Amino acid sequence: MILLEPHNYIIQTTLAEKASQPSALDVQFVDFDGVRFRLTTPDRKVPTALVLSMSIGCWEELVRYGVLDIFKREYGSALRAEPEFGYNVSLDLNLEQFPPEGEQRDAYIKSLAMLKRNALAAPFERSFQAQRQLEAAGSGQGELMALHYRDEEVIYVQAAADRVTVIFSTMFREETDRVFGKVFLQEFVDARRLPTIQSAPQVLYTTRVPPLEIRHLQGLNDTEDVGYVTFVLFPRHFAKPDVAEATITHIQLFRDYLHYHIKCSKAYMHSRMRYRVSEFQKVLNRAKTEAAVGDRKTVSGRTMSTR
Amino acid sequence: MSQLAPIICDNGTGFSKVGFAGNSDPSFVFPTAITTRGPAAQPSRTGPALSSKPSHLASKRGVEDLDFFIGDEAVANAQTPGYGINYPIRHGQIENWDHMERYWEQTIFKYLRAEPEDHYFLLTEPPLNPPENREQTAEIFFESFNIKGLYIAVQAVLALAASWTSGRVTDRTLTGTVIDSGDGVTHVIPCAEGYVIGSAIKHIPIAGRDITQFVLNLLRERGELANVPPEDHLKVAGKIKENYSYVCQDIVKEFRKYDQEPYKYFARYEGEHAATGRKYELDIGYERFLAPEIFFNPEIYSSDFLTPLPEIVDSVIQQSPIDVRRGLYKNIVLSGGSTMFQYFGQRLKRDIKQIVDRRLEASAVASGSQARSSGLDVEVISHKRQRYAVWFGGSLLASLPEFYSSCHTKAQYDEIGPSICRRYQIFGSAT
Repeated sequence: MILLEPHNYIIQTTLAEKASQPSALDVQFVDFDGVRFRLTTPDRKVPTALVLSMSIGCWEELVRYGVLDIFKREYGSALRAEPEFGYNVSLDLNLEQFPPEGEQRDAYIKSLAMLKRNALAAPFERSFQAQRQLEAAGSGQGELMALHYRDEEVIYVQAAADRVTVIFSTMFREETDRVFGKVFLQEFVDARRLPTIQSAPQVLYTTRVPPLEIRHLQGLNDTEDVGYVTFVLFPRHFAKPDVAEATITHIQLFRDYLHYHIKCSKAYMHSRMRYRVSEFQKVLNRAKTEAAVGDRKTVSGRTMSTR
Repeated sequence: MSQLAPIICDNGTGFSKVGFAGNSDPSFVFPTAITTRGPAAQPSRTGPALSSKPSHLASKRGVEDLDFFIGDEAVANAQTPGYGINYPIRHGQIENWDHMERYWEQTIFKYLRAEPEDHYFLLTEPPLNPPENREQTAEIFFESFNIKGLYIAVQAVLALAASWTSGRVTDRTLTGTVIDSGDGVTHVIPCAEGYVIGSAIKHIPIAGRDITQFVLNLLRERGELANVPPEDHLKVAGKIKENYSYVCQDIVKEFRKYDQEPYKYFARYEGEHAATGRKYELDIGYERFLAPEIFFNPEIYSSDFLTPLPEIVDSVIQQSPIDVRRGLYKNIVLSGGSTMFQYFGQRLKRDIKQIVDRRLEASAVASGSQARSSGLDVEVISHKRQRYAVWFGGSLLASLPEFYSSCHTKAQYDEIGPSICRRYQIFGSAT
């Protein structure tokens, strides 16, 4: 598995199972970036009526960027006006009204499993629209949208007349991760020189120094651990609706993807290390001198033998 | 960001149960298998593949570190050319750390979709796991995944904690005998105050797989399987074991009952061939009560292991220190899928009670005194969460507030090193 999937496995598998065999349930689980989910049947006697709730850290910001419109478009009437207590958004699902088994149902369940992806899509969709308006107008800068999706990390999205800039502030809590992270991010910048991925978005990477777009913001962290990754999306990355969808999906998983790959490389390094250690142990074992055992004789000249 | 639920990870020999604390069932149950590039040949001491030319960094884009499958996908891809399937856990203990590290990696990122840096983890270990293994585990979790905090619990203790859900348990104690029967082996483990009495543990080589095999043998002997396609035999036997079997109280009476009213007791199994869709039917008879009977009369199945389960349990408790024996008899807890048979608990309780009463009787006669023993309480606890008892116990304990103080945190690990994980505070005990 190289890429992380955009949808949540637990929602997908649970709903697929319940759609064929409804039964009462109450499960709570999480997704990346501190997103919490809850899937319940509020009335145990009506196992076909489910409520799927999500709590996400940067909800107020998302609402400002128009997440509710996206939810209305994607989930329509399923969206509850009043979310469940402790959560930001709730969907009412009725298993009886699920599409018939087959591709249609799978697609519907998958769209439900993409709840988090659709929530985070809000600033991106808005910036793509803003870019189109600005392009028509000829010049200007869109609103700088900040998304505090984790405690210490922020995504900034800004539209301009000819591009959309996405800036991730990244933070590594551990020394080793920081080193790996630096190598990886540098790789992102270098990789674009390969002829096969020339059309990929341009990537810039800086440590400590924030990029010009956000330099005017107050309270930016400028310690050694912080780095900024800038993606420059050109209209070709979001001109067609399906390409735009894919762009949003991939770019919002960037951080998790980066961390997943760092962990994978570490695991790979560890297995190399274990292998090396076992090789060295073999060398050490070979280096042991064997005690020389000569023939031992008694005074009378007879040899001792072990029985 | 509010505190996120701890992750419970119970990696067993056959299956891994993973999920989030606070739920009653694990989110995922899949085989503890990993399919990697290269042959399945076990002692893979050749080391992982290295690309041959270490040239310009940007041109070297190997994906060796990502090229593997776990769980059900691993089983599905086992036959793919160039790949081989591996089982990193053997007899409950981790054998191949390389594979296990990757296995966890994908469990966390792909299935649970959790950022390990935000979560506490509760892992399980078998009884008698060497402390070196704990250290290795801690190293992987703290250094590869940078998790917030870690607790490693003994499976038997978690199974005891899971029994607190049963209505019959009045005091929440961590003293008791755990009978843990999974697919491969059955363990009888005595625990006192949350500590396993290692010297008294006994293993029985009869478990789920043997029951299925026994059912299969019975069906073959009766000739029921004539019209069942051979590739479905094992599946049919497994289904019969899970859905139709129960433990009888008296085997002779049961036989007579079946012979007098066969129509009442014989059941009919209907199946369908997976590939061709051809339907088939067969009768299920005596195997309904004979299948779990191999725990109580092992001689009907195996010729080399002949001690019945109640006797084993009794001898385990007799080998434990005398001051905990009462507690061990009073709290015999079942865990694992192969203890799910109906009436299993009642039968076990009756048989152990008989053994105990006989011994009390004998000692009263031998001592010749007039004083009578007040008797001994024998209680077998079965509850609804038996199948994933260990996982459920973990979920229960990890949702207690004191879980966080019992964990070793990343800061403590960085300060002291992996040796910190040799010892864990038992829940509910004073430091």
